[in-house]
Amino acid sequence: MTMDIKTIHSLKSKFVARQVGNEMILVPITNNVAQMSELFTLNETAMFIWENTTENTTIEEIEKGITDTFTIDSKTAREDIETFLNQIEKLILNKR
Amino acid sequence: MDNWQNSTCLLIAEFLIHIVSTDEIELEEGYLPFVVRNQSGNADITIQCMEGLPTFQFEKEKLVFEAKNEEQKFYSIYRNGEELGFAIYNQQDKDEIQQIALLDEDFINWKVYSDNSKSKIAALKYPLGPIIMHYMTLKSDAVMMHASCAYDGSKARIFTGFSGAGKSTMSKLWSEAGNGIVNDDRLIIRKRDSGYIVYNTPMYYADIPKSAPLNSIFLISHSPINKIKKLTGAMAVSKVMAFSIQNNYDKQFIQSRLDFFSDLCSNVAVYELGFVPDESVVHFILANET
Repeated sequence: MTMDIKTIHSLKSKFVARQVGNEMILVPITNNVAQMSELFTLNETAMFIWENTTENTTIEEIEKGITDTFTIDSKTAREDIETFLNQIEKLILNKR
Repeated sequence: MDNWQNSTCLLIAEFLIHIVSTDEIELEEGYLPFVVRNQSGNADITIQCMEGLPTFQFEKEKLVFEAKNEEQKFYSIYRNGEELGFAIYNQQDKDEIQQIALLDEDFINWKVYSDNSKSKIAALKYPLGPIIMHYMTLKSDAVMMHASCAYDGSKARIFTGFSGAGKSTMSKLWSEAGNGIVNDDRLIIRKRDSGYIVYNTPMYYADIPKSAPLNSIFLISHSPINKIKKLTGAMAVSKVMAFSIQNNYDKQFIQSRLDFFSDLCSNVAVYELGFVPDESVVHFILANET
């Protein structure tokens, strides 16, 4: 996996985000017509990661933030972060 | 000062479009049923048509968007300050520019320069007409979608999906079941006081202006069996918005679309529908929609 938290922060300016209920939609800013079956949606945990990632955030800080906010343990939080990073990576690759 | 000797008004999705030209205006057949009595003072947008292409130094402008694929080139958009410039390509010769259009920062006033060496001024010649309609919706509670729409007299149902998903097939099946068809390809949805209304837009063939109260949106695909799933929340918004006409190079455009679709999907039912392309799907929907 090449995606990391710092990269997420740098990607934020390339998307417009909108919260709908407990989820979030990400729409890529693009200079061409891309055929998409759906835009990118984030669940509650992924939305937390997206919103709380700043230039200097570490993966440990995000993990702690998740366990403090949601009723899940560290192992699940770390898995959620990795799942999120993998999904974002796939999204970026699909855009290329 | 230009001498606007020719003037025409169109009413599309209750947007009043005033077209003026120094020369005779030629409208494609599909626009003719949308022509209304001249009431230019109330126009939502104005299109000034000029003959001859100006010298437009594209290399000096900022290219912000290109609509093209491997086979075809439709248009390119350039930004010059707050103004947008559109290079519209000839669909029979993708290397030839047929029109140059300029749009002011309020998205109200268009200047359209046409290469009229081969014909009269075709102000809305494809693909410029749909582009103008798209930008007309951007600053109001409206969107354009690739979709078909059937109306049973009380409910309008929209069917959208990828090219080949069955939008026209669905129109045919609902028509055979006694429904009216608003359109089978390109629609405008507007939020009005009475709710969401769906309108047809001019096509390459003549059809009268139509509208209907929107009840539900179906995201369709072919399937060995009829199956339906109701979508809500972010999933509904993201999937419906994906089939709208978008130029997503500008954050404000995207934000406004997200606002619109979030409200639309909280007021109109959204379903994913796998369907068998025969009359059984009409009965299936009537029995399973909520």
